[in-house]
Amino acid sequence: MAALCHDIGHLAFSHSTERELLPSGYSHEHLTADIIRSAEMERILGAVTPPLRSDDVVKLAVGPKILRDTQFTDWEAILSEIIVGDAFGCDRMDYLLRDSLHIGVAYGKFDHFRLIDTLRILPASHADSEEPCLGIEEGGLHSAEALLLARYFMNTQVYYHPVRRIYDIHLRDFLKRWLGDSMAAANPSSLLVITDVQVMNTMMEAARASDHPCHELACLIMDRKHFRLAYQLNSEDRRLHPEPGRVMFNALQDKFGQEHVRRDAYTEKRGVLDFPVLERNGRIVSSMLNSRVLQNLPTVEVDFVFADPQNIDEAKNWLEDSRVGLLEKAAREERE
Amino acid sequence: MTTLSGLRRLAIVAELARRMADRGSWCGETHIQKSVYFLQNLLQLPLSYEFVLYKHGPYSFDLHDDIVAMKARGLLEAQIKPPYGPSFVLGPLGEGTLALFKKTCIKYGRKLDFVAAELGPKTVAELEPLATALFVTASQPPGRLVDDRPQRLVQLKPHISPPDASKAVRDLDALRLRAGAACLDTPDEPCADRLG
Repeated sequence: MAALCHDIGHLAFSHSTERELLPSGYSHEHLTADIIRSAEMERILGAVTPPLRSDDVVKLAVGPKILRDTQFTDWEAILSEIIVGDAFGCDRMDYLLRDSLHIGVAYGKFDHFRLIDTLRILPASHADSEEPCLGIEEGGLHSAEALLLARYFMNTQVYYHPVRRIYDIHLRDFLKRWLGDSMAAANPSSLLVITDVQVMNTMMEAARASDHPCHELACLIMDRKHFRLAYQLNSEDRRLHPEPGRVMFNALQDKFGQEHVRRDAYTEKRGVLDFPVLERNGRIVSSMLNSRVLQNLPTVEVDFVFADPQNIDEAKNWLEDSRVGLLEKAAREERE
Repeated sequence: MTTLSGLRRLAIVAELARRMADRGSWCGETHIQKSVYFLQNLLQLPLSYEFVLYKHGPYSFDLHDDIVAMKARGLLEAQIKPPYGPSFVLGPLGEGTLALFKKTCIKYGRKLDFVAAELGPKTVAELEPLATALFVTASQPPGRLVDDRPQRLVQLKPHISPPDASKAVRDLDALRLRAGAACLDTPDEPCADRLG
């Protein structure tokens, strides 16, 4: 039941619109928790055999990361990790396989049958503790590596592809303009009635009608007039300043104006890759000792700065000429 | 008291890892998690991480995300050392970032040294009950006459034995006294033990 309910708080276009539609510090998982605790769900959960308590379902459906004031027993923490955990959570297994299928890419696939078969609850003796935690049999380690590699490739090739990311930003700008003040005043659960289809229809109408208040924002998406990539994070620039994307974004905003520049900075949130592995000889060791793949798996980090198509060439040329000077100046000024 | 955020907060965590590594201490994620918990909740360093009782005691999901980000940004680097998993040292871009926040690192240097010296040499098996003891102590009502902290600790972490829980509470109280005696206060940010 907790697994089934985990995503019921998602709004239209899933994560893309969450930041704009929901109050600050309140995610779709908080909305999920509120829905599970609603009178309507209490009735449904109470009527099954045996009856379920909504508090138990909420705990497992969203986990300790969201319910920070709630105490979890070791077993509740493990059960919730099976659903929402960053490493082996079935939510992640499911969306990787499903997105891969629907997008039509080869990335994202792994042997989830083998992985699930080999998951074990083990003492964390790999970390010098007896605390029970989720681990894996040695025979399943390659499936675990395949899952984590699948996630890495889906992240870099799909979820954090710059063109996909700029469409998210344009979608959020569109929703902000379309829903306006009614959005801030709305009860989060009332926003669930807005569907993907409704947003798409409104966007198409707005793109066709030049007098529509959202016309220009809709055209950015419908006519593929999206902002273009002007700058992306690279290791050379990071040697000059720890946050080069921020420096470039501020500089481009100063030069071209706020409305002509957008930034998207994100570092992957991921679970602990150091989990216990039960070897065939009965010993429990750290996954990091047994897997070169996990030792070297990069963290996905993006920092994109986009510019209006009208300014893109000028923006790129200007950044190329001034990049080093801007970064050195920012590092000098920010030094304590 | 000014709350440390963004890069400045990451710099403090990197500086902690450096000071632990300098002492030859193991510095895995559990060591960082528990050390930051002590820095914040015993020595009042204003890092504003939110801790819940989870993996091996008090645990901050935000701090975990920061450690992942610091590794991605080259501030920290994981070294794999048997028999356990990764231990963190300063990464290739760590020195450059720390140079930007020299004053902050100096300001909190004594607190960082105290925690590195006290917690660095401990094993995870020792840190887990000690940090949970601080969690239990911090969450009990003020002025409580009966000291049931060991029982509460065992309730929360059943794999910790009652003798180990009692020892952890005694060790914590001794550590609090040492922290008080070490006079780690900075002029505007006292670290007086507020646990009663």
